[in-house]
Amino acid sequence: MTFRVLIVAAGLVAAAASAQNYDPYGYPPSAPPPPPGQYGVPGQFPPQGPTLAIPVLEADLRAKAGSDTVRFARDSYVLTPQAQATLTAQAQWLIQRPFVQASIEGHADGRQSRDYAFALGERRAAAVRNYLIASGVPPEQLLTVSWGRERPTTAAVHDATWLQNSRVVLVLKQPQPNYYPQPQPFPQQPLPQPYGN
Amino acid sequence: MRLLSPKFLLFAVALIAPVGGALAQSSQIVIAVPQLPTPKNVKTDGGDTGVLGIQIAQQIVSDLRTTRAIYPMGPSGLKQYTPTEAGAPLYPNWANIGAGALVTGYVQARDDGRITVVCYLYDLKQRRELARAGFAVASTEWRRAAHRCAGSFVKAITKRPSHFDSRIAYVAATGSRTQPVRRLAIMNWDGTDHSYLTQGEVTVTSPRLSPDGQRIAYMSFAGGTPHIRVIDIDGSNDRALLQSPSISFSPRWSPDGRQIAFSMAVDGNTDIYISDANGGFPRRLTTAPGVDTSPSFSPDGSKIVFESDRSGSQQLYVMDASGSGQRRISFGAGSNSSPVWSPDGELIAFSRWTGAAAHVGVMSPTGGGEKILTNGWQDEAPSWAPDSEWLVFQRTAQGTGVASLYTVAVGGGEAKLLGTPQPGADPNWSGAAQ
Repeated sequence: MTFRVLIVAAGLVAAAASAQNYDPYGYPPSAPPPPPGQYGVPGQFPPQGPTLAIPVLEADLRAKAGSDTVRFARDSYVLTPQAQATLTAQAQWLIQRPFVQASIEGHADGRQSRDYAFALGERRAAAVRNYLIASGVPPEQLLTVSWGRERPTTAAVHDATWLQNSRVVLVLKQPQPNYYPQPQPFPQQPLPQPYGN
Repeated sequence: MRLLSPKFLLFAVALIAPVGGALAQSSQIVIAVPQLPTPKNVKTDGGDTGVLGIQIAQQIVSDLRTTRAIYPMGPSGLKQYTPTEAGAPLYPNWANIGAGALVTGYVQARDDGRITVVCYLYDLKQRRELARAGFAVASTEWRRAAHRCAGSFVKAITKRPSHFDSRIAYVAATGSRTQPVRRLAIMNWDGTDHSYLTQGEVTVTSPRLSPDGQRIAYMSFAGGTPHIRVIDIDGSNDRALLQSPSISFSPRWSPDGRQIAFSMAVDGNTDIYISDANGGFPRRLTTAPGVDTSPSFSPDGSKIVFESDRSGSQQLYVMDASGSGQRRISFGAGSNSSPVWSPDGELIAFSRWTGAAAHVGVMSPTGGGEKILTNGWQDEAPSWAPDSEWLVFQRTAQGTGVASLYTVAVGGGEAKLLGTPQPGADPNWSGAAQ
């Protein structure tokens, strides 16, 4: 297990440094990426899937998609053109990496009640989720969470920080064990029944 | 000690009472609370019974001082009496102390290590008993006996429940703003008997005490998804309310304690649902495409006030508990949030947001008579005392962002800091457990 982790992690570091169209889960370089919605090759992974180096992947997401964060106006959940451009790049990144799950974490800024902030964070996360799905990301690759106003991004409390806190962050996750399809046993054909019974 | 003579006290009452506020002074009753005698001074775990008699009288006085209808005096400066006189006061002895009513009683050690606390309230003018209460409590729990004595006196005079034996649940907030540690905490309303129910490993918010004071519904990030959980106040029996992957928050008990109303967010649409307090399938009450949240029941359980942004900004609405008959009641400037119905049904407390500032106010359940009570930077999340005379709320300091608990009288006056061991948020005040 440790050996496999090391291979994956080392591969990812090398990839981030050099090849741009690298896939870290062991396909031969000539093989095309698997189509969306089909996760890897049956039998290639252990049941829980490969252990991913999440910080490396997140650095890769920020480098390729420009940012892991989109921001919103006050009490708004409308995606700005800038946010849409970021999300389109994030969708491309996710489509090329179906082995990783992403948690869409919505936040509010602290200029609304605690309850309303939870609803607003969920609304923003849902807007981002819908945009990513419309861009081709498989729904099962995405999770949504609302942090309300419980996790501001800066410690300071003044006017300049409000818009920084109105945000949705894409947080990458090690997939759940049941995320990867398991190889199915070869189906047993029923034996032909003899005549007369 | 010369200054504390009965005559001086009488003078002080006459002097202070008109200054203390122009509210209902004519109906204020002066109650004398001499120290409680003991038949035999016995050493107990809570202290000598003679000392307990003084401490209980002091606690009764400080409890009664927080009500508007009563002005307490004593126990220092008042004459003493014998335990046998407790149930049959010698009225002529108390005629000239300047009080309209008298508290008597006694403290007695029991064979099983507990103490008996008995207290009476007598009308000195009409010479009759107004209330009596008696408890056998552990000697270390003498303060609760004092609270319940004071509570029975208030109930006899004002016909309302008191807050003396009530508790406040809140969220203790430590750590930095970006990496906060949140723990559920519960204490008596005056800050005593403080304990933590969770240890901060997951973020929790919005504790709500059940009407019987035995359980707390709250929101937790346990497992990653924010959802409502229910926990006993001793910290045991912690469980999720629903078997649902959706985000749920903002729980509130029905007055009979059988149901919990809450908000659930599904695909960007937050609505109000209601479910059995022991779980079960939730029933949807609102269907508006906007955010409907912060439900709170009327004391008879027939109506629910809630917050919705269906008009564009957050405003208060009232509906029947079945979800029908929804109508808007708040039309003020800014946005109005976090409505809570008072225990006597007369008022709805709320927080008004303008810009980044918030203030706590009250209005009538039909929407009129609006009054803003506080003037801090962010004053929000009000919760009613059982007597409907006080509100506890969260005040956040500008600049540091540190939150603390404050109380304010609905009748008016300055907000007072409610001391907690650590910064506190999200208070919830509840009636007493029996």
